[in-house]
Amino acid sequence: MSPALTRRGFVAASGSLLVALAARPASAAPGAGAAPLTAFLEVATDGRVKLWSPTTEMGQGTHTAHALLVAGELGVPLSAVAVETARPAAPFRRNGQMSSGGSWGVRAWEGPLRTAAAQARAMLLAEAAARHGLDPAALDIAEGEVRDGARVLGGIGAYAAGAAARPVPAEPALRARHPLAGTAVPRVDIPAKVRGEPVFCSDLSLPGLVHAWARLGPVTGGAPARIDDRATRAVPGVIDVVRLPTGAAVVATGNWAAIRGAEALALDFPEGPDARLDSAAISAGMTAALGRAEAAPAPRADGDFAAAEAAAARVIEAEYEVPYLAHAPMEPWNCIVRFDADGGLEVWAPTQAQDRLMGAITAASGLPAEKVRLHTTQLGGGFGRRLRDMEGMRDAILVARAVNRPVHFHWPREEELGQGWFRPAQKARLKAALGSSGQLLGLAIRTAGPSMVMDFAAPATPIREGGLDGTSVQSLADTRYRFGAYRLDYAMARFPVPTAPWRAVGATQNGYFLECFLDEVAMAAGIDPLALRRTLLAHDARALRVLDTVAEAAGWGTPLPAGRARGIAYVESYGSLCAEVVEASLADGRPRVHRVTVALDCGRVISRDGARAQVEGGVVQGLSAALGEAVEIRGGAVANRNFDGYRLLRMPDAPARIDVQFIESGETIGGVGEPPLPPAAPALVNALFALTGRPIRRLPILAA
Amino acid sequence: MARLSVNGRQREVEAAPDMPLLWVLRDLLDLKGARYGCGIGQCGACTVLVDGGAVRSCITPVETVAGREVTTIEGLGGDHPLQKAWIAAQVPQCGYCQAGQILQAAALLAETPKPTDAEIDAAMAGNLCRCGTYLRIRAAIRAAAGSAA
Ligand code: FES
Ligand code: FES
Repeated sequence: MSPALTRRGFVAASGSLLVALAARPASAAPGAGAAPLTAFLEVATDGRVKLWSPTTEMGQGTHTAHALLVAGELGVPLSAVAVETARPAAPFRRNGQMSSGGSWGVRAWEGPLRTAAAQARAMLLAEAAARHGLDPAALDIAEGEVRDGARVLGGIGAYAAGAAARPVPAEPALRARHPLAGTAVPRVDIPAKVRGEPVFCSDLSLPGLVHAWARLGPVTGGAPARIDDRATRAVPGVIDVVRLPTGAAVVATGNWAAIRGAEALALDFPEGPDARLDSAAISAGMTAALGRAEAAPAPRADGDFAAAEAAAARVIEAEYEVPYLAHAPMEPWNCIVRFDADGGLEVWAPTQAQDRLMGAITAASGLPAEKVRLHTTQLGGGFGRRLRDMEGMRDAILVARAVNRPVHFHWPREEELGQGWFRPAQKARLKAALGSSGQLLGLAIRTAGPSMVMDFAAPATPIREGGLDGTSVQSLADTRYRFGAYRLDYAMARFPVPTAPWRAVGATQNGYFLECFLDEVAMAAGIDPLALRRTLLAHDARALRVLDTVAEAAGWGTPLPAGRARGIAYVESYGSLCAEVVEASLADGRPRVHRVTVALDCGRVISRDGARAQVEGGVVQGLSAALGEAVEIRGGAVANRNFDGYRLLRMPDAPARIDVQFIESGETIGGVGEPPLPPAAPALVNALFALTGRPIRRLPILAA
Repeated sequence: MARLSVNGRQREVEAAPDMPLLWVLRDLLDLKGARYGCGIGQCGACTVLVDGGAVRSCITPVETVAGREVTTIEGLGGDHPLQKAWIAAQVPQCGYCQAGQILQAAALLAETPKPTDAEIDAAMAGNLCRCGTYLRIRAAIRAAAGSAA
């Protein structure tokens, strides 16, 4: 690659980009002379540290947690560490993939990052010891300085180049106590975001860049039968119209011309077999799957539910349903593609899944991975949606090839919401067998819905059509509850609406089904909902502590003002146990959430305020889904393709208060980004059930 | 050709009169702090101040701001009391909505220096935050207004 086209050349060529590629450009941006000590860490002569993070920063705060881990272990101030997402390579992969999902960002990388920092420290100390003729064991690094007791030998930058030439110790000693782990540190990415600096992919600029805006077909797919671009080509600034596999892109010198041009396109799609698919048909299809005569694969059958049912004094039954949900990150999909004169390809993208995106890039471009340089920008939200942008990436490459210029490819909001990869819709039929004193003898859950894994992993899907998708029974198959007899059945019901992981994945729908049905059971049995859960978890001290912590902090059972009620829910996901209590009322039929209390046992907390922010955000997103979110399918397409129809929670509906209790049980560290989300919806619904006596068996609560 | 004043500077841009202010700022003036989220006035990510009032720049034709003062997040300078409050409260998550949130809050405080919680909610209802930072936004506004509880 010619020097002018390397990343540094690019940065120099575009002043506004300088800040875009580093999290903390002002305070730390190691330049020339930065010595790579490990794959993760470079140290510059002035002592600043560059951390190549294996994760994408999309607001979840992992870059700060990673900086914290490295700064404390290495012995430098947090402000000396600049973080950027690494390019895909072996050290940054987990299970063969570089990807940010599953709430793995801190729990999977704590070990490797502390080790990398300890390696760097050992190398720096070995260099300093050799240079000063001292014993490396007597030296340490603190505040970015190599010290021999109280004596400062020099800043670490002075030893960086020599240290980089030394062997990397395989098993460096970690500090006995990490000085920063568990503390609240300021987020490294926040100052730039508050100043409005260009940190997102959509903000980047390049010399000669043209803009392409997509107009695509229905969510069910298919190629356009006819494209009439006469009106488009008349728009001043429009350069070209490029046909895409499922639509077209309008290329123009600026965004506004491209947007107007895309709006002026006339696209016709053939009336395929899916052209009449709508939400009602999908719901009916799931009901049919629930009632299928042949036994669905049963992931769990404890005891004999049929016998429990036969012996029951009372059986209660209910059917629950949830719709497809959109991730709706505030920054719609966009990426920059530049084919370079030397045959290489450079891509800037807001991706959560670097290797998966590389697969799309190499497939669409025909170039080997070595010819591709992928830069991950910060993301204006991900929530799982940016784990899979194969089509959007492919289309950008097609456009860049067609117009032979660097292209910034954009989806308008309508395509971001309209092209699918949703949280699956799902139905569940739940049945409880109660004994004569109201005790639970057994529980049966039969659930049916689309297979996220079949869609998301296609074509290399690890399961077969009609098989068991573990995410569809997530938090049901592995629940700690003991119901007596427990029978869980599942039927796959697929529709041509693609689905993907959505923050907390299957725990979102299944937490709602089970936790709300448990409150129906409690009501039928005349038992307090907390008491019922304590009975079902009586064997599990860790789970009981989570329940008791949330109950005490929320004042469970204490009097409330008239017209208010509390609801509780407990859901375990991603290695963490989470219980929430929602205090709600109704004002003119509209739920008002006064307070949410959260108890989260994630084993240990690393970045305290970041973890708290994730809990708050997860609660709000969970309440948002409960209150207003639903993707409406009509005529094979998404009917609500912008925020006038897809209703995200707005500030007036946000809780007045969210109180967070972290339980540091010392168990294996669990996730934080996802586990707080699933209990929010059922806790709200249970509060409303307590208030009105009417169960809410279908989300969202507010009808369209 | 359109003339406007942005962050205290007179600017002339080669733009059709109906070009939305958002794209004038982002594409012609290289001010990227106002962001595209919906294009139809529903999310607030593109919010800027025009003569001190919050407008959705995605649906504001540039001709309508001729001769008026436009303030973007870049124009707040970084040490604005709201920006300081935003950092103190560690408000942003992904950050995409936050320039719009801060400017919307600036318009609120200009009109209502000591807003009640209900006034904050009402003023901010047009600004979506998918990351769910609403509670911290409220806290930062209260702090900047000197009415922190
Ligand atoms: S982009 Fe202007 S309100 Fe959403
Ligand atoms: S901080 Fe991400 S949308 Fe508001």
